[in-house]
Amino acid sequence: MDMRTYLPRFAAIVLAGASLMAVTAAQAKEITVWCWDPNFNVAIMKEAGARYTKAHPDVTFNIVDFAKADVEQKLQTGLSSGTADALPDIVLIEDYGAQKYLQSFPGAFAPLSGTVDYSGFAPYKVELMTLDGQVYGMPFDSGVTGLYYRKDYLEQAGFKPEDMQGITWDRFIEIGQQVEAKTGKKMMGLDPTDAGLVRIIMQSAGQWYFDKDGKANITGNAALKAALETINKIMSANIYKPAAGWSDWVGTFTSGDVATVITGVWITGTVKAQPDQSGKWGVAPIPALSIDGATHASNLGGSSWYVLESSAEKAEAIDFLNAVYAKDVDFYQTILTDRGAVGSLLAARSGAAYGEADAFFGGEKVWQNFSDWLAKVPSVNYGVFTNEADTAVTAQLPALTQGTPVDEVLKAIDAEVSAQIQ
Amino acid sequence: MNNGTTRIAGTIVTYGFVGLMAFLSIFPFLWMLLGATNSSIDIIKGRMMPGSALATNIATFFTQVNAPLVFWNSAKIAILATVLTLAVSSLAGYGFEVFRSRHRDRIYSALLLTMMIPFAALMIPLFIMMGKAGLINTHFAVVLPTIGSAFVVFYFRQTTKAFPSELRDAAKVDGLKEWQIFLYIYVPVMRSTYAAAFIIVFMTAWNNYLWPLIVLQSNETKTITLVISSLASAYYPDYGVVMVGTILATLPTLAVFFFMQRQFVQGMLGSVK
Repeated sequence: MDMRTYLPRFAAIVLAGASLMAVTAAQAKEITVWCWDPNFNVAIMKEAGARYTKAHPDVTFNIVDFAKADVEQKLQTGLSSGTADALPDIVLIEDYGAQKYLQSFPGAFAPLSGTVDYSGFAPYKVELMTLDGQVYGMPFDSGVTGLYYRKDYLEQAGFKPEDMQGITWDRFIEIGQQVEAKTGKKMMGLDPTDAGLVRIIMQSAGQWYFDKDGKANITGNAALKAALETINKIMSANIYKPAAGWSDWVGTFTSGDVATVITGVWITGTVKAQPDQSGKWGVAPIPALSIDGATHASNLGGSSWYVLESSAEKAEAIDFLNAVYAKDVDFYQTILTDRGAVGSLLAARSGAAYGEADAFFGGEKVWQNFSDWLAKVPSVNYGVFTNEADTAVTAQLPALTQGTPVDEVLKAIDAEVSAQIQ
Repeated sequence: MNNGTTRIAGTIVTYGFVGLMAFLSIFPFLWMLLGATNSSIDIIKGRMMPGSALATNIATFFTQVNAPLVFWNSAKIAILATVLTLAVSSLAGYGFEVFRSRHRDRIYSALLLTMMIPFAALMIPLFIMMGKAGLINTHFAVVLPTIGSAFVVFYFRQTTKAFPSELRDAAKVDGLKEWQIFLYIYVPVMRSTYAAAFIIVFMTAWNNYLWPLIVLQSNETKTITLVISSLASAYYPDYGVVMVGTILATLPTLAVFFFMQRQFVQGMLGSVK
């Protein structure tokens, strides 16, 4: 082959390849959204977008799905680099991390206080996205908690559904001992490497790892102390089935090995995925601590939508979120029915889907109950370092189970949190 | 007798160790294959037998994922990155070894030092550069930073040390220009080196995750690794579908490996000793 004709041809092919790779720029009035989970957030945002496009045909949506950690990584890189055109118009942020982004990147997110009527949302959800009197973000899904219990197991142990209402943690443990004595089943699954239950119990009493000013609140935190003591009691009463990791924990109740599940409402779909257990489940409010400020309502997880200040379609993006997420009650019925998503708009309960009696739960109106509890979830300040504090708690849980006094465990957690956030 | 017992014991220990290592490396692969045939709930329950959900999982994967586009994106990036990296970095490695200049070794050391910088530290400046150049969300931006690979330059320089200088001299006597020597003498002789480098670079490019994640912004440009990551991070991941995706993503690297392995051996047989 003659190289003199070959080389230019090769160069031409390379150049053509390079130009092929250039992607056409986004059209005007297209709102780009970043979020995770194709079957949940992505699907729900597509539904919301379709509703808005129907009323505003000039606005279309580009929903891009990345893994949750990937959304965070990309957002962090985009904001740090100051390359505005590399950011979406709307992004989904997990509630525990909201203050971290709001405080680390001042001015990066658009305040929605003037536009959105926040009085219609669960108060704790609004509180977590408030900074210096401005509210950023559109509250989205809630992790309002419930006590899911097997009616059949509890009945065998001599307990009626009324006996599960409004109980304390001490009573919960007593019932657990009865259940094991009568049925041989453990009361709950517990993953010793997951601090989720600690967070649920702590928030139910209106406290968090951080106080209202964002300062670490560990050693003097009565709710955290009571939460750790409760875990300790559950362990020494041995009413739990140990689980190694999330999948294993889910397996404890899908397989019918335990009598109760205490977690966020988003688990409902997984509980209902076992048709042979239909009619055997009930839902009650979670047990309460016996300290000041204790309630039967709490939250685990959840996330919210934020509009980027640098967005070229900022006005449309805000109007879209406001029109669908803050006003469209019918939208909330659709996402509850199709995706099992419980939003934070309190008015959603007036819709048909929320009023339905669920045969899986023996005809209980579970969504009305969850809606009641949603309004009562105590507001706390998730602060900037919730994930770091969580890691510290997880690291100290084994010491707790080996009999280290709770006050010493708290001191160790405090030392670790202080070391991590400085 | 005593000697025989020792030998048998030694064999048992050897095979036991080899067997254990084989199990450790094969088990995840086996788990992936079995997982693809089971439903997500069965996988969570720890089922380790072939199931009947393979067809469902494959169907779900192809409805959830625009597979032709995603694989085309991955292939385009991997092939372009491999061809360009081999072309540029082998030229550099050859040059470093063959041509002498005053600061050659100092420059070479500086180049090797860049291998010590973790990519996470380069990410933001690189992202700003790509932003300024208007290359964000293009596959070219994924390929560009990988072309000048210090490792591949190093690899080619080391192997070039075995390239006989007599061949160069003979070629020069025959009147070949420098680029002709490289193209007609060096490249054919070093086929085995190219084959090995091809495998390494192709696998790295195909499996590359962090940089494509940062620089690609839309569903239309995403690679298979990003799509699998997204599937696996759902609140309730369908593990069976994730396993189908993982198997499909593994096939091209496997194919390249087996195909190039033959080339590798042929190259070895044909190379000048």
